[in-house]
Amino acid sequence: MMKQLQEEQYPGIPVFTLSELNTAIKATLELAFPESVWVVAEISEIRCNSKGHGYLELVEREEEETIAQIRANIWAYTFRNLASKFEKATGETLKQGMKILLQVNVTFHEVYGLSLNIKDIDPTYSLGEMARKKREVIERLTKEGLINLNKQIPLPLVPQRIAVISSATAAGYGDFVDHIDDNPYGYKIFYTLYQSLMQGQEAEASIIAVLKQIRGHIKLYDAVVIIRGGGSQIDLSCFDTYSLAIEVAKFPLPVITGIGHERDDTVVDMVAHTKLKTPTAVAEFLILGMSSFEERLSDAQSTLVIRAKELLREEKHRLQYLMQQFRHIVKDRFNGEIKRIETASHRLIHGATQIIDGNNNKLKLDVNRLVGGLKIVFQEHKNKIKHFGQAIRLLDPINVLKRGYSITYLREKAIKDSSELQTGDIIRTKVYKGSVNSKVEAIDVEE
Amino acid sequence: MSKNKLTYTSAITELEAIVQDIESGEIDVDVLTAKVKRASELIRFCKDSLRNTQKKVEKTLVDIEPESKSEEE
Repeated sequence: MMKQLQEEQYPGIPVFTLSELNTAIKATLELAFPESVWVVAEISEIRCNSKGHGYLELVEREEEETIAQIRANIWAYTFRNLASKFEKATGETLKQGMKILLQVNVTFHEVYGLSLNIKDIDPTYSLGEMARKKREVIERLTKEGLINLNKQIPLPLVPQRIAVISSATAAGYGDFVDHIDDNPYGYKIFYTLYQSLMQGQEAEASIIAVLKQIRGHIKLYDAVVIIRGGGSQIDLSCFDTYSLAIEVAKFPLPVITGIGHERDDTVVDMVAHTKLKTPTAVAEFLILGMSSFEERLSDAQSTLVIRAKELLREEKHRLQYLMQQFRHIVKDRFNGEIKRIETASHRLIHGATQIIDGNNNKLKLDVNRLVGGLKIVFQEHKNKIKHFGQAIRLLDPINVLKRGYSITYLREKAIKDSSELQTGDIIRTKVYKGSVNSKVEAIDVEE
Repeated sequence: MSKNKLTYTSAITELEAIVQDIESGEIDVDVLTAKVKRASELIRFCKDSLRNTQKKVEKTLVDIEPESKSEEE
């Protein structure tokens, strides 16, 4: 096909026009790559023109060095399909830095030169690639002991002062604010919005910057909330990066996430204190925390009242029982004491009586002996007296008279001497029975 | 034996000592009257203090009880 144009100048050496050359290159390439090929590459640039065609710059790097580079394009219709398929499968948009497996035709255009025309992209590869990267980040965080670090910070019982990281315009932020402000319990939760990009290339750096800002006012807050969502479900890869995860893990306040996704947890979710699906869920979590705290309080209150009443009742019963016991014991004790006194008193009387009786007996014995003694004495005297009596009786004049003696009285005076008498005297002679009066006629006087 | 500050315990102890003395029968009749008199004093004292204590205890128990009883239905 090559024309030999300037044979005269370079005899024997073929000289082409550019179009001839390009046509030749094109033909050669078409011959060399008759069918499409699969190739792995990293997107270093991607843009979409007004007609919807996609233009990419593909590279292969080794370390930081670019060792291969080529342009690629996707026609608008294919681009729409592939992009949506890719997003659906990976949750990510096709973007810079992403490694993809793509089916291309090697094309050469006479004017635009060499480029790859993308026919298909296999999202499975990227998915695997992303999963691998994520796994590496998780492994590193685990090894460094950062996965559970933030979870160890105790969440206050009633987290009331919240630093919110979100974009101001996100529907998710609106949901969060609505739920917090219109909570049915009327709880007051103070929140401050720290605006950040939550999507795309700069999201990671932006969130890290905002976290640093909050660190400066750490005393003002009980917890940090990272929310996103309401919009697209894609572009979450910034939440899988090591540099953001470490910031969250090491943050001195509990971090609660509501990143608004339905697929696997992001790495930030994994290192956060508490991960929730949506901003609304975060708001509900906070409110639920408060209401359950309030419930606990009122439960504790009623338990306290019930328990206190129970305790009082129990103690009252115990006291009553004790009082009853006590009553019995006291009664027994009194009875015992009374018995003791009674016994003592009985024994006293008995003992005293014994002593008195004993002494009495002794006394009686003495008296008896005395009486006995006296009797003898009396008898002796009686005998003596009897003897005397007998003697006396013998001496009685009557007894003399009985025997025939008589007593003569002159003027009641017994006459023992006849000289006492004179003739003519009247004398009375007493005999045993009766007496005789006589007149003295003669007197014999004895010498 | 001192009369000041006679307590129930000292009284009943003394009483029982006297009773034992008397029961032993080794007591002179001369002292017996005094002993018996002392013993009867002690008995009276013990009975009185027991009665007083009992009254006080009963009163105290009654004082406590109605309160706890009234609250039970």
